[in-house]
Amino acid sequence: MTTVSTERGTRQQSTDDRAVITLRGVEKYFPIKEGALQRVVGQVRAVDGVSFEVRPGETMGLVGESGCGKTTLGRCISGLTPPTGGKIYFRLPDAAAARLDEIDAVPENERTQEQRKEVARIDAEHGITQLSGVGWRTYRRNCQVVFQDSFSSLNPRQLVKDIVGRPLRVYREASGQELTENVVSLLESVGLGRQHLYRYPHQFSGGQRQRISIARALALDPEFIVLDEPTSALDVSVQAQILNLLHELQSERGLTYLFISHDLGVVRLMSDRIAVMYLGKIAEHGTAHELFEDPRHPYTEALLAANPDISAEVSEMKGLSGTVPDPANPPEGCRFHTRCPVATPACGWEVDDAVAWLQTNETLLAGLLDVERRSNFDATLVFSDAAAAGAVDDAIQNGNVPAPMKTALADLSTDETKVHIRFTAVEPVELEDIGGGHLTACLLHTSQGRGIRE
Amino acid sequence: MVDVLAPETATVRVDGPWTVRLRRLADVSKQVLSNPTTLVGLVIIIALLSLTVLAPVLTEPNFPNPYQMPRDWGVRDAPPGTPGHILGTTSTGGDVFYGVVWGARTSLRLSLIVVGVTVTVGTIVGSLAGFIGGKLDEILMRTVDVLLAIPELIFALAIAAVLGPSFGNIIFALSVVFWVKYARIIRGQIIHVKQNEYVDAARITGDSKLNIYRRDVLPNSVTPVMVQATLDMGGIVLTAATLSFIGLAEAGLVEWGVLVSDGQAGISAGKWWASTFPGLMVFLWALAFNLVGDGMRDVLDPRTEGR
Amino acid sequence: MTVRAQTSQQQATTPLVASVRDLRVHFEAKAGRVQAVDGVSFEIRDGETLGLVGETGCGKSVTARSFIRLVPTPPGIYAGGEIDFWSTEARRTGGDPVDLLEIPHDDMLAIRGDRIAMIFQDPGKALNPALSIRSQMAEVFYQHRSEEILMAMGPDVPRIVRRAARQRTTGLERILLKVPPWRAKAAELRRRVDDLVSQALTETQIANPRKIMDSYPHELSGGMKQRVLIAQALACNPDLLIADEPTTALDVTIQARILELIAELQERLETSVLYISHDLSLVKEICNRVAVMYAGRIVETGTTEEIFSNPAHPYTRGLMAAVPSATHQRGKLAAIEGTVPELIDPPPSCRFNTRCPYAVDICRTTDPTDVDLGETHRVACFIYETSLDSAVRPSRERKTS
Repeated sequence: MTTVSTERGTRQQSTDDRAVITLRGVEKYFPIKEGALQRVVGQVRAVDGVSFEVRPGETMGLVGESGCGKTTLGRCISGLTPPTGGKIYFRLPDAAAARLDEIDAVPENERTQEQRKEVARIDAEHGITQLSGVGWRTYRRNCQVVFQDSFSSLNPRQLVKDIVGRPLRVYREASGQELTENVVSLLESVGLGRQHLYRYPHQFSGGQRQRISIARALALDPEFIVLDEPTSALDVSVQAQILNLLHELQSERGLTYLFISHDLGVVRLMSDRIAVMYLGKIAEHGTAHELFEDPRHPYTEALLAANPDISAEVSEMKGLSGTVPDPANPPEGCRFHTRCPVATPACGWEVDDAVAWLQTNETLLAGLLDVERRSNFDATLVFSDAAAAGAVDDAIQNGNVPAPMKTALADLSTDETKVHIRFTAVEPVELEDIGGGHLTACLLHTSQGRGIRE
Repeated sequence: MVDVLAPETATVRVDGPWTVRLRRLADVSKQVLSNPTTLVGLVIIIALLSLTVLAPVLTEPNFPNPYQMPRDWGVRDAPPGTPGHILGTTSTGGDVFYGVVWGARTSLRLSLIVVGVTVTVGTIVGSLAGFIGGKLDEILMRTVDVLLAIPELIFALAIAAVLGPSFGNIIFALSVVFWVKYARIIRGQIIHVKQNEYVDAARITGDSKLNIYRRDVLPNSVTPVMVQATLDMGGIVLTAATLSFIGLAEAGLVEWGVLVSDGQAGISAGKWWASTFPGLMVFLWALAFNLVGDGMRDVLDPRTEGR
Repeated sequence: MTVRAQTSQQQATTPLVASVRDLRVHFEAKAGRVQAVDGVSFEIRDGETLGLVGETGCGKSVTARSFIRLVPTPPGIYAGGEIDFWSTEARRTGGDPVDLLEIPHDDMLAIRGDRIAMIFQDPGKALNPALSIRSQMAEVFYQHRSEEILMAMGPDVPRIVRRAARQRTTGLERILLKVPPWRAKAAELRRRVDDLVSQALTETQIANPRKIMDSYPHELSGGMKQRVLIAQALACNPDLLIADEPTTALDVTIQARILELIAELQERLETSVLYISHDLSLVKEICNRVAVMYAGRIVETGTTEEIFSNPAHPYTRGLMAAVPSATHQRGKLAAIEGTVPELIDPPPSCRFNTRCPYAVDICRTTDPTDVDLGETHRVACFIYETSLDSAVRPSRERKTS
């Protein structure tokens, strides 16, 4: 539609041998600051070690509940905020990805000079935080975003023509009459028209404003669009229009999508592959079909069970107990174990779990004076008197403590007013391929948990 | 929501960009004027402004300096209604009517200069602090905090006192004092506006920081400044009158505060007019701009605008 | 979840809790009168859950708020109709209903929170951030249960404590309540109210309610806040609970728990529920009957069974087809084209005619009336108006473009 510039890059050439976006161990921590001097007292781990790639022409779905880090991850990928750890690559060739895998397998201090140089070269060529000049501009114009809130994502003081035409103006693609015509054709491609050129965003309905956002994202003919909950604010009949439009545009223009949503039905419909996020980590990752028909993580199962399905004959919605833990202090082992209905003793039971359980009782922790914490698995609770300590000991021994937690308890002893609690320490649960690109981070299915299954 | 998709007939009349922008301006103006108190304020402002324009027609300008009170030592303390001195004269033979009329010019000059300077300085400082943020924000805002901790009037008084009594120094002193408020307002607005996704969207398009500031951030941040500036157009005249009243302007200047000060000695002797009429003008001036400012605030509230 | 065993025969004999007849709520706007709710009629029977579904701006929330007169006037205008309400007492004694739109303000205050309670969409906004959960919950009991509490405290309650229970104390009296001889009785009053609060919170399966009572809203998660609000709403065992999108702001896993909770409490307390939602699949889960609203009118009413297995109105059908599900193919969602019409002084017509695939001339010029499709199934669509000549009648076989 517009002149082809060098920045448009290699899209017209073969795209089989490279990904569009590759994430390798991406982390985004937000510091928690306190006091007048703004001392950093902790980190909120919004995204905590996420790896996946998005291949050309596909739709990758990212699903999870509020606060799971999916939006932060989207912002990292679109370059709005730099990750605090890990790497995001744009158009990383498969060969380079393989080399990175090989080099990553070598411990940091044993790498040769050549290997280090090679990593640095790949980072400089494809890492989005290191790109500059033409490389950066190529990435910037090929990676666009459609936001959830179309009220907030369109400047209320600009006319539609200025909003949609702005990317063209920034890259000097068009001006004057040509710009206007380009904008008209963009509007037409999203179901709006010439008569909408000179209107303000507030003169449109929610669905139409989202169409304007999509037109703006399409202006530079990008390869990749991050769709951050694009239909969450819309009514279902309008949502259907927008979803159809997005699909139509994808097949016409060969677009690649990252589709972020909390709505399982929508993600299932739109995505080829889906990653389920929980508390900053990926719990499960597979094709849409695998995830919905054969989920291999209890969290995915819980999401599916909680999702109301209009087409089901008989449905029983089931919820999850408890709340999402604090991402500044995520649970040990598997992050889902605090709410997991099928948790095992090896899932990461720790002192905080014991305290959380004791808190559900009105009186048990009334006499608590101090907690001496040696690690997340090992602590001493100090009480005001021996009776209180005894009561806690007794409650844990004989109360209805979750069975896996009780089994995970390595040591429970009372010494006057002190209660020592120690759990068996466990490693974090890693995401693992359980066959054919279906990845899960659940001990019930991975090799890491082979021991406990038997 | 308004249905703009439905009538998709071939004969849709497309308004040009300027028609649309002007219509929006007209809409906002109509809304501002629909409030009767705002309308009253506006009428008073127009009357006061006509006074400044018509000053040379209404009274003969004093020669050589029209901003110096003409003295007619022959008719001192004449009551209102005296031929040739419709509002009476002062104890030094100054024509009160002349003071009222030309005082409007002094006030306009004063408020335009002070508001112009303070809005500009405040916007620049506030924008640097809010848009760039970080250490710069800390430094600028702590400075602002310190300045805000000193009462405006006392601060202005101190500056003017050090520099010596002159109206120019009053203008300077007020400019030094009043920008701080704007810096605070615009910084707060910018930090708020920066969180909007349209700013992120502009960054995604790859536009420069300066353009993002110019097109997205500033236009959506200025309305509270406009409201405050309107309120200050009145407030500054009030403060300046206070400073002149306590003798920080040069004697004989045609300025309402000076005139009130000159006339106050006569009030106990029943010569009320020399102070009352200029005082009334200060009151009208401040009231009018306050009425309009408040009306603007109601209409321009960004939370309700355009919905 | 809920027992949906009520048959239509049982339905007809179950006494009414509320009956809305021809309700009209308009809003004065610059461009004219927005007819947000325009002739809405439905009934709520004892112990049932009625779902009121529709999309943004269809008037469902305005309808719900009209029950307790929460629509701000102006700009709102109650332009007509009535909402008859039978309290438990009225139903037992066979007494007359009260018209909620007509009763004096004081009577409404007595009904609000006591006989009719409401829970809102955003639990964050419905709680006062400056007050502890304890004091916000206690408010309800002081307001509606003060007499019972005083009765339970026995005859020798000083006047000043009685005034405290009725929330009529002045500043000085509040100080006096802190000193002997009144202190003991005032403390007893507080303790009794605390017990009631704690009991109400326990009902909603909140663990350790005493701890929750001492916390402030910002310390609680969204799901927990909604539980507190449900506890507050059900504290006085109301006859009617109005739930306005109570789970829209919550995550799905929490949503399911809250719905379970509402259903369970409803069954135990035998409260009738008016459940407002935009989400058809939720309504299907928890409602006995469903009323579908579009642009200020009810287009179809029926039992959940009837609405979901045999939807009649083109809008209901369109709405259901638009929900993405496992059987859909990408890009082939059945969207309802177009947007909701403006409701400023609309001409007589079916409000859905601009988006209806079957609309013919009559739909654009005449208000449709309700057609009975069965004992409990009603639809406002000309397709089913069999008395009409088939030449002017729209038909589901004939799509117009």
